Amino acid sequence: MTPFDLTPEAVVEELTRYGQKLTHGMKNLMEVGEISTGVTPKTAVYSEDKLTLFRFNPPAETVQNKVPLLIVYALVNRPYMTDIQENRSTVKGLLDAGQDVYLIDWGYPDRADRYLSLDDYINGYLDRCVDVIRERHHLDQINLLGICQGGTFSLCYSALHPDKVKNLVTMVTPVDFQTPDNMLSHWVREVDVDLLVDTLGNVPGEMLNWTFLNLKPYQLMGQKYLGLLDTLDDPAALKNFLRMEKWIFDSPDQAGEAFRQFIKDFYQQNKLLKGGLQIGAPVNLKGVTMPVLNIFAEQDHLVPPDASRAMRGKLGTRDYTELSFPGGHIGIYVSGKAQKTVPPAIGKWLNERG
Amino acid sequence: MRLSVTDTKNAWMESWLEAQQSYWKSWADLARFGAKTPAMPKSPWAEGIDQWWQSLAPLAPPDGRAVFDKLMDMAKGYFGLAERFVTDRADKNDAMEVLNGWLEAMRQSWSAWRPGTAPLTAGNPLKDMMTFWDLPMDTWNRMAANIMPMPGDFTQAFHPEGAALGMGALHEQMNRFLSIPAVGYTREAQEQQQRLGQLAMDYAAATQAYQMAFAKLALETTQKFQRAMLQEAENGKPVGSLREIYDRWVGLAEAAYAEFVMTDEYRALYGRLVNSLLALKAQMARLVDEGLEALHMPTHAEISTLQRRQQELRRENLRLNKTLKGMQEQLTALLAQAPQTPLEKSVKPAAKTIVKPAAKRAAAPKIATRPASAASKSKSGGNKK
Repeated sequence: MTPFDLTPEAVVEELTRYGQKLTHGMKNLMEVGEISTGVTPKTAVYSEDKLTLFRFNPPAETVQNKVPLLIVYALVNRPYMTDIQENRSTVKGLLDAGQDVYLIDWGYPDRADRYLSLDDYINGYLDRCVDVIRERHHLDQINLLGICQGGTFSLCYSALHPDKVKNLVTMVTPVDFQTPDNMLSHWVREVDVDLLVDTLGNVPGEMLNWTFLNLKPYQLMGQKYLGLLDTLDDPAALKNFLRMEKWIFDSPDQAGEAFRQFIKDFYQQNKLLKGGLQIGAPVNLKGVTMPVLNIFAEQDHLVPPDASRAMRGKLGTRDYTELSFPGGHIGIYVSGKAQKTVPPAIGKWLNERG
Repeated sequence: MRLSVTDTKNAWMESWLEAQQSYWKSWADLARFGAKTPAMPKSPWAEGIDQWWQSLAPLAPPDGRAVFDKLMDMAKGYFGLAERFVTDRADKNDAMEVLNGWLEAMRQSWSAWRPGTAPLTAGNPLKDMMTFWDLPMDTWNRMAANIMPMPGDFTQAFHPEGAALGMGALHEQMNRFLSIPAVGYTREAQEQQQRLGQLAMDYAAATQAYQMAFAKLALETTQKFQRAMLQEAENGKPVGSLREIYDRWVGLAEAAYAEFVMTDEYRALYGRLVNSLLALKAQMARLVDEGLEALHMPTHAEISTLQRRQQELRRENLRLNKTLKGMQEQLTALLAQAPQTPLEKSVKPAAKTIVKPAAKRAAAPKIATRPASAASKSKSGGNKK
């Protein structure tokens, strides 16, 4: 028995098919046009420094939840992932589920922002955005939806300002930063973060990209492109691929001080879980007293499910719900299955709580 | 009939495809029958696909070009693998011999690789299939080039004869040289330069250690791949396409990588790689600052100090604004509740004040809106907002 059932003729045939796909893919590439992202119409309602607060235009026919929902995205990538294309939009799903959706775009920090701290981001920018929305709607409290690092920010914010948060939803949000399967956490333990920030000031997006690609280097830097061949003859699929590619490499630099504190306090010392975290004031998860919906992805290689599940039993709330999604860190926003399940589930959970 | 530009391009590409297909078939026939002439190119398929892309790339839109560049890199590797298979299959009795030949070539390549030589896969007859072992280091070099005033792979220049001398001996010699005490009027400047040299050596050593670990991992993965393929053959499930070979190879490599990077060994290698690059960069910045200071120009350190002070001022300003706003709201609420004087009553009716949510809280006895639990646990926490 041989390990290959291959003949030279079969190889030539395979290469011919490969060549055909490349040729036809080239035609599609020439005609692909501009790659657009962020498809749902929205209006800027507040801005400060690099930050812009957007409100998405609600569909006229939908009955809206009176309590607006603010999406807090991570600093490490761009928030248009939540609204990346017409049929893959968490934002659109939330609007359809009756939510009045706001979103913070943190922008691209430059060297003048190097000393922005987590206190500035959480008790400053985020708090002011919450106040703007409360005043616009004449409400004491609003709903928060935090995603990934933005989920961690939202948790900290909710612990510090529970009087301003009616309901909290976290998506793929790390709480335990040192689960045994957390590659990022394992790698940064011996990195001298003070040297990193003192030397570079802001942390370049390229450095973060290198780190994220190294989670699965051979798939993400090699095999993925060969796999593209299978969908190259489909213009829509090609466009989707290019859109995702644009997002993956659209990594803002990170404000140095905020990065320093995030890596040291969260990844290296796991203070959110173990205690001792200080962001303007002590952050205690028991201060999270509002209802919480915690959504995580079962195949998440960036935020392992256990890192999110660690929230269970650590909060001050009695109304805690978990939703497990069978997919990955990105699939939870963009997969077809996610579109059908995640935003409607969030909408239903929020609507049930007024 | 008039053809559009797109039609013309498409017709041209179809013609190219037909010609290429015919060429591949002819070449495969020649290789199969063992025909080899001096004029035959080394990698005709890979070179053909590369030429095709080079001629079309300028026409590609910017959004898609980078992706297609990567796709073509992969395609060249894939075509190289096909060429290797067709050529080797002509020389060997069966596919098992081809596999063993490949794996032996890889094993020898990785066993022979030493720090200080060309990248892991350079010069290897199967480099197209193995090239992704260089991906982490290659991407690191690109990233390093973005934050350093020199090419990312500049450490290659530090040890051209490293393989022959042995890196330990070379490093020792260099370190001795860089440790010669500096004397005289320029002593401090000399020390700074020596420090730069030592840090560059440290970084070179860190990159070599990182690459060595990957060479070892690649060697182990090759053996795992061989065992996996034999197992598949024994189970009666031989591989049916080049793509399948490639995918299995990547799958095994990724699994081996995932296991390795969670070890303490990798954690130390990673930390050393990052920290040594940053230490080198920090020393460069220090030297640049000294030059700038000598020219009476703003230094990096000075600008950094100004940025920090500006941010502190901004924070203070925002805090004061918030306090002021809260006081104004409290005042408004208090005025609305205050009893009116007889004169005010005679002049106009009491104004109706709309109290907004924020004003309601401000009017409440507790001025701080920070949760009681948080505030009580922090003596210095106070009203941060």
